[in-house]
Amino acid sequence: MTFHDQVIAILPKLRVQALSLTRNRAAAEDLVQDAVCNALAAQNSFIPGTNFSAWMHRILRNRFISDLRKRRETTDIDDVPASSFASPATHEDSLALKDLSMALSRLPADQREALVMVVIQGMSYEALAEATDCAVGTAKSRVFRARRQLEAWMSGDLPANDKLRIKVKALRDAMDARRRAGQSSDDLMLS
Amino acid sequence: MTAGDKRKSSARETTGEDQDSPFGIWLSRGLHQLFDDVANEPIPDELLRLIEEDRNK
Repeated sequence: MTFHDQVIAILPKLRVQALSLTRNRAAAEDLVQDAVCNALAAQNSFIPGTNFSAWMHRILRNRFISDLRKRRETTDIDDVPASSFASPATHEDSLALKDLSMALSRLPADQREALVMVVIQGMSYEALAEATDCAVGTAKSRVFRARRQLEAWMSGDLPANDKLRIKVKALRDAMDARRRAGQSSDDLMLS
Repeated sequence: MTAGDKRKSSARETTGEDQDSPFGIWLSRGLHQLFDDVANEPIPDELLRLIEEDRNK
């Protein structure tokens, strides 16, 4: 597989990483394009046979951080509305998804990125550490903290949006009841 | 144990206990619903053209 074939093949994963960092679809598309431009410009620095995926994810991440530093002179990343992070309107029918989207947007970007890359892309801690240029322990800790924080917000262990807590608790109770009865709970996520 | 086995073992550890809990299952489903569409969308022509132009340089 040539360098350019590898770039094309990894684009879907870069999109997921970009969305997890930016929380905004339009910004994510721009970030992927900018990262690809950077990668094409730096292709001679890639050593064939080494980990292309990690190299490419690092380029995207570095571009995000660099853009963030520039933007912080005039605005704050946390000003990006949470709603823009979520999927298109067809999926916005689900209250549970809206709530998860909102909670995700409150996580620090590095924790959100780590959680998404492990859960959605099935990355190991080692691969995550290499792709995000950190120690394996740091990668593991980011995923752990992201999960714990989301669970705390959604179960009401910490102060959070009461409506969100109540809705999520009802959903979890319904899922538990279905599981005890040996029934599927897939449809609950869409209700 | 090979390096590949170690990687698989680590991935299982990552997605093991936490992901098997009710909250872990719920979180995984929700994340997939939020992110799978993004991964599966067609690549914009402009981006593909950019890559192909560089390939043909």
